[in-house]
Amino acid sequence: MSRRKLSRRQFVAATALSSAALITAPYVRGAHAAGKLSIGFWDHWVPGANKASTDIVNAWAEKEKVEVQIDYIPSQGNKNLLTIAAEAQAKSGHDILAMPTWWPHAQAELLEPMNDVMEGLIKQNGEPNGTVKYLGQSKGKWLAVPASVGSQIKGPCSRIDLMKQHAGIDVQALYPAGAAPKADNWTLDTFLKAAEACHKGGVPFGIGLGETSDNVDTAGAIFQSFGAALVDEKGNVTVKTDAVRQALEFYKKLISFLPPDAGAWDDSSNNKWLVSGRGAMVMNPPSAWAVAKRDAPQVAEQCWTHGFPAGPKGRYAPYLSYFWGTWSFSKNKEAAKSVLRALSQADAIEKMCVASGGYDLPCYEKLTMLKVWQEEGPPKGTLYHYPNPHNHQTLSIAAAPAPPKIAQQIYTQATLTKMCLRYHKGEAMENVLAWAEGECEGFMRS
Amino acid sequence: MTTVTVDKAAPTRKVKYGSMSRDRAWALRWSYFFLVIFAIFSLTPPIYMLITSLKSSAEISAATNPWWVFHPTLENYVGLLTSNQFLRFFWNSAIVSIFVVTITMLISVPAAFALARMRFWGSATLATGVFLTYLIPETLLFIPLFKMFAVIGDWTGIQLINRWYVLLILYPTLTVPFCTWIMIGYFASIPKELDEAAVIDGASWLQTLTRIFIPVAFPGIIAATIFAFTVSWAQFLYPLVFTTSTDQLVMPVGIITSLIKGDVFNWGQIMTGALLGAAPPLIIYAFLMDYYIAGLTAGATKG
Amino acid sequence: MADVALQPNRGAAQAARKRSSLHKMLKRKSTVAFLMTLPLILLIATLVIYPAFYALHLATLNKSMQRFVGLSNFEFLFRRETFWLVVKQSCIFAITAVVFKALLGFIIAHFVHNIPAKGQRKWRGMLLVPWVIPPAMSTLAWLWLFDPSYSAFNYTLSFFGIGPIPWTGDAMWARFSVILVNIWVGAPFFMIMYLAALKSVPEQLYEAAAIDGANWWQRIWYVTLPMMRNIIAITTLFSLIVTFANFDIVRILTAGGPLDHTHIFATWAFRIGIEGSDIPLGASVSLFMVPILAIAAIFILRDINKRGNEA
Repeated sequence: MSRRKLSRRQFVAATALSSAALITAPYVRGAHAAGKLSIGFWDHWVPGANKASTDIVNAWAEKEKVEVQIDYIPSQGNKNLLTIAAEAQAKSGHDILAMPTWWPHAQAELLEPMNDVMEGLIKQNGEPNGTVKYLGQSKGKWLAVPASVGSQIKGPCSRIDLMKQHAGIDVQALYPAGAAPKADNWTLDTFLKAAEACHKGGVPFGIGLGETSDNVDTAGAIFQSFGAALVDEKGNVTVKTDAVRQALEFYKKLISFLPPDAGAWDDSSNNKWLVSGRGAMVMNPPSAWAVAKRDAPQVAEQCWTHGFPAGPKGRYAPYLSYFWGTWSFSKNKEAAKSVLRALSQADAIEKMCVASGGYDLPCYEKLTMLKVWQEEGPPKGTLYHYPNPHNHQTLSIAAAPAPPKIAQQIYTQATLTKMCLRYHKGEAMENVLAWAEGECEGFMRS
Repeated sequence: MTTVTVDKAAPTRKVKYGSMSRDRAWALRWSYFFLVIFAIFSLTPPIYMLITSLKSSAEISAATNPWWVFHPTLENYVGLLTSNQFLRFFWNSAIVSIFVVTITMLISVPAAFALARMRFWGSATLATGVFLTYLIPETLLFIPLFKMFAVIGDWTGIQLINRWYVLLILYPTLTVPFCTWIMIGYFASIPKELDEAAVIDGASWLQTLTRIFIPVAFPGIIAATIFAFTVSWAQFLYPLVFTTSTDQLVMPVGIITSLIKGDVFNWGQIMTGALLGAAPPLIIYAFLMDYYIAGLTAGATKG
Repeated sequence: MADVALQPNRGAAQAARKRSSLHKMLKRKSTVAFLMTLPLILLIATLVIYPAFYALHLATLNKSMQRFVGLSNFEFLFRRETFWLVVKQSCIFAITAVVFKALLGFIIAHFVHNIPAKGQRKWRGMLLVPWVIPPAMSTLAWLWLFDPSYSAFNYTLSFFGIGPIPWTGDAMWARFSVILVNIWVGAPFFMIMYLAALKSVPEQLYEAAAIDGANWWQRIWYVTLPMMRNIIAITTLFSLIVTFANFDIVRILTAGGPLDHTHIFATWAFRIGIEGSDIPLGASVSLFMVPILAIAAIFILRDINKRGNEA
């Protein structure tokens, strides 16, 4: 059965290709070609942020006489991932689809190469950061165009008052607005002491240990600052190393200072934690602060977004990037590429950034000093250090540098947070490592 | 708890057995006591939905007494009922449910009639087998069905994944067996003389069905209709797997995937959405409770 | 019947001829009957039976579905700790929930049956509400009641000096919460079935028992339960199947966490097969529901056959 299916699929693919060529042909000829384009953007968390991308696309569509349909797909409940999987299976769907982190690699065979688009963009906007290259490139082929919308650093967002009161740390002095950080003492040890003090004070840090990305990202950055990786670049399992053991020990101590149900937290729990005023710190992009600004202004005024604490092997911050990809079976690839170019112009990126209240983070090196981060408030300058303006920390993603397809499994199965929880629950270190090793071997399935 | 016959027996025996009637009075009091507890247990979530739906998001995030509304507002209702997205979910759900109910009835009524009245080779097995399809739950079928539809799309170009009408194909598998089962029961209880007379008078089988069986078994048909509607309104797994675009979603999945946004705090709206999503079955049930219960217990009373 | 009256109005000879041909058609009533059931048969065959076997086929392919790998997917699963955890949890979940649903349903049915008939409708109505609300919607309300930061339960309990309870954060509490919600949704179904059955128990039996001096417990044990045995059996089995195959409650409330400690077959198959794009492995997982369901099938078949013989 599967054999017959294959030949059939090749046939369909061939016809689809030729028909796609027919349809896109007029587009290449004239600038004013009509056509249809369906886009699935990520549904932005920051209220009102979707409008900016809608406006940019509509302006483009009017100029190019293309009929555009935009869907906003939320990431809650993995809706966006389900959409990607469903469209890949069905070989039909949106012409442009927002794909988070690992998904360009996961669908590499079905994605249209974007090298021609990227060449121009890199010339204009500067080099993209290393994490984006790791996630978006495969064997010299750009699988998708990095999206500023949705890309974010999930650094600490601290309560200025509570950190002073309970931990004696002035985060504004460590990370002064408009100037380089003076945070050499901001290490994992200081961080752990602060966590303990805030826990005693009844305002524990809101760091989750569930299976969603916020939780995994934090664990990933902490593991990396110990130099701990479960699988190395070449795909060898490196679970049973001292670095991993150190990271687990650290997490075990940290967990005892976290809320008791941290194991069930999802991406919204830390936001609720901050907005409800119960915690002194969460690891989140400024969306939590933005919501607090709306619903609990007295909390928002005390929020300060800053850098990650450094570990023995460096200072890492989790960077979660989004991409815009086009399926190889899309019927209007040229139009798709054209609109992606329009969306990646510096002024377009800035516009979307502003609309998101500074949440979105372009990956290009020339675009990390936009005005929006310097001006947003209250308190003024709260976002200054959000985009890592002084390259104080290394941007990275959990499970890197493993080969992306394996790293994706480690990431989506939340192996890191599960290890930490297991160890915290009293399982022996070697058992936890053995379990993780088994999981990693399972991830090598093809 | 002491007596099961209290309502009918109590008045006549009151004089004769004084102590027993005191017993009964206590039993009655205990019954009410526990019923109140169970009713609180049953109604807490829906009432909590209502309470939360009347709060502004600032009030919710202020974490005041969750059981009380200090500044009631309808902004969540206004927000949802004017949002195209939400109305779209509602509309999709309504369309899907109406079609599914129709399809279900068109399939299950004739089938039930044939199985109840017109014996043919294998009909007895089939009547049993219909109910046994529930032994293969949708949670087992969704993965193969997903792949099946992907392959069909590949071969024929007919897109079934991420289209709302795929639900019209899928939901009947959940509604038809039970509705057929109920209808077999209802049809079987109609006296044989009635349709024999009709056949002797020269009525065709179809006429016997439409002129005699359907009118007589009308309560059963209503029960089956309500059942089919409730099931198709409430289904969660199939739409979650098979539809993803916002304009293709039905109510339950739409609310859960589109209203819950990780970082935005809109539990007032989520609860409002949940309440509005629960409203159609609740309304139908409020008016047609007896039919609904008759349908649910159709098997029970004959067992 | 109206058309039966109509037909003689047309030409008599014509009508007679027509009627005879019609009769000939009707004589082959098995054909007509088959045609009437055909949509049903087609529906079940193409969308239930075929996919069930297709699942078997899928379970023998490798992850990218290009190679036949025999039973190695199952082998892989058997070596997974998580798999055995899921098996255990599915059983705990289904059995505990069904037992409590049945017990609660039985008790509530008795209480409703106890009170004067004219009040029963009102109580029945209120107690059946959890069954009427789409479970996905009501689970959302529970999710909000259990929320880590805003739990209304913890708020209430804090006045008694209890808590905060990690409703969905701790493995045991999470299991408790998931089962609690399932009981909440399912108990009314039992209640209503038992209530119907209670009403069909003849009064005389209780009167006879009362004359023999039976106390309430004996009356339940020797009169009520034997009379309701059939209905209890079939309701329990039906509920066992539905609970075992449950998806929405767990998915919405905990999505399987913390640490996979609330995953059941359906949610885990979804996580692997749809979210993890490993369709063959997901299909293999969901196939493990079959043995338990087959046992249920045998019992139900026996019951239905018995009923058929009685009729």
